[in-house]
Amino acid sequence: MHISEGILSAPVLLSGAVVAVAGTAIGLRKLDYDRLPQVAVLTSAFFVASLVHIPVGPSSVHLILNGLMGLLLGWVAFPAILVGLILQAVLFQYGGLTVLGVNTTSMALPAVLCHYALGAAARSNMRYLSISASFVAGFGAILLSGLLVAAALVFTGESFWPVARLVLAAHVPVMVIEGVFVAVSVQFLKKVRPELLEIIYAKR
Amino acid sequence: MLSAESYLKKSLVILAALAGLWLGMFFPTPALAHKVYVYAWVEGDRVQVEGYFNRSQKAQGSLVEVFGPDGRKLLEGKTDEKGLFSFKIPQKTDLKIVLTASMGHKSDYTLKADELAGGGSTSRPTLAPASKPEAQRAAEPAGQPAQAVRPSVPAPAVSQIDGDRLRAMIDEALDRKLEPLIRAMAQANEPHGPGLTEILGGLGYILGLLGIVMYMKSRAKP
Repeated sequence: MHISEGILSAPVLLSGAVVAVAGTAIGLRKLDYDRLPQVAVLTSAFFVASLVHIPVGPSSVHLILNGLMGLLLGWVAFPAILVGLILQAVLFQYGGLTVLGVNTTSMALPAVLCHYALGAAARSNMRYLSISASFVAGFGAILLSGLLVAAALVFTGESFWPVARLVLAAHVPVMVIEGVFVAVSVQFLKKVRPELLEIIYAKR
Repeated sequence: MLSAESYLKKSLVILAALAGLWLGMFFPTPALAHKVYVYAWVEGDRVQVEGYFNRSQKAQGSLVEVFGPDGRKLLEGKTDEKGLFSFKIPQKTDLKIVLTASMGHKSDYTLKADELAGGGSTSRPTLAPASKPEAQRAAEPAGQPAQAVRPSVPAPAVSQIDGDRLRAMIDEALDRKLEPLIRAMAQANEPHGPGLTEILGGLGYILGLLGIVMYMKSRAKP
C-alpha cells in the first residue's frame, strides 16, 4: 500500500497532499484532546501493524488496520495515519516523504468513509449487525485503499484495470483477515471497554 | 458461559480465517510488501543486481535501469525468476541502479566506482580477453608457467611471465576462490527490513508526540 518515491507525477502528489492536509485539519479540529492517549495507542498499533506478517499460503500479508482506525477515530484517522506514515517513512523507508500525502489519503479516506457508512451499525447492540458491519469495515477499507492506490498509479501511465486487479488480488487475503480482525476487536472492546467505541470528537 | 451463540460465533471466525487462508493459496500474491529492496555487487567483470521484497520473496520480472553519474541511462533489463539481473560493467564510474517493481514499488542502489575497481575489474575489461587464453595455456600443457607459480617462486620462473600476465592470472584465481565469500558478504550486506531499534524508536516518537500535545493542551486550559 505504500507507494514509493519517484513514481507518481507532481499533480498526483500535490492533490494527495491537499486532501491529506484538509483531512488532518478536520481531524484535529474535531478531536477531543482529553482522549488523545487513545489516538496515540491506535497510531502505535497502525505503526507496527505493517510489521506483523501473517503467513498466507506461499506468501505473507500484513495488517493495515485503517478500517479499525476509521471506526474508532472517524476524521481523526487522518492525523493518526499521517503520523504513523511519517514515522514509517523516516524509520523504515516505507513509502517516502514526498508521497506522504498520497499514501495518507489512500489509507485514511477509506477509514473516514467506513466511519460514516458503518460506524453506527458497528456500535449497535444487535450483535450480528455489529459483527458484519465491522467485518465489512475492515474488508472494505482495504478494498477502497487498493482502488485509490490503483487510481494514483493510473496517472503515471499505467492503465487502471490491470493495476487495480493486481493490487486487489494481492490484497484479498488481507481484506479477509482484516475484516475478521476488526470484527473480533470491536466485539472485544464492546465487552471490555465499551467507552472506547464512542467516537472521540469533542462535544460542542 | 459458552452458549450456543458463542460457539456459533467462534466457528464463524474460524471459517472466515480458513476462507482467508484458502483465498491466499489461490492468489499467488506477486508483491504484497511495503518496500522493494535492490542490492548490487560485483562479480568479476559483471555486476549482479538482486531485487527482493524480503528474504523469500524476490522481485521477479522487474525493470532494472542503470544510470551513470551524469544521469544518462546506460542500460536496462529485467530480473529473472530469482530476482537477479546481471550486466557487464559498462564504465568504471558510480552506477545508480534503479529497480521498479509492480504496484508502485521502486528502489535504487548506488554502486560506487571504487567497488567496481575492488571487484578486480580495474584490469579486467582490458585484460579479460588476453588473460583467458593465458590462463588456459598455463594450465593445459601443465607447462612451466603454471608450475612455476605454485612453488616458492624460483627467480627464473618469474622472469618468464611478465608482470601484467601474472597479475591477470592472480586476479582470476582470486576471483574464483573468493566468489563464494563475495556472495556471502553481499548477502550479509543486503539492506533489509526494520529492526527492533527502529520499531521501538517509532513507538517512542508517538509517545513523545502525545506527551508534547497533552502538555501544551494542559497549559492552555484555565
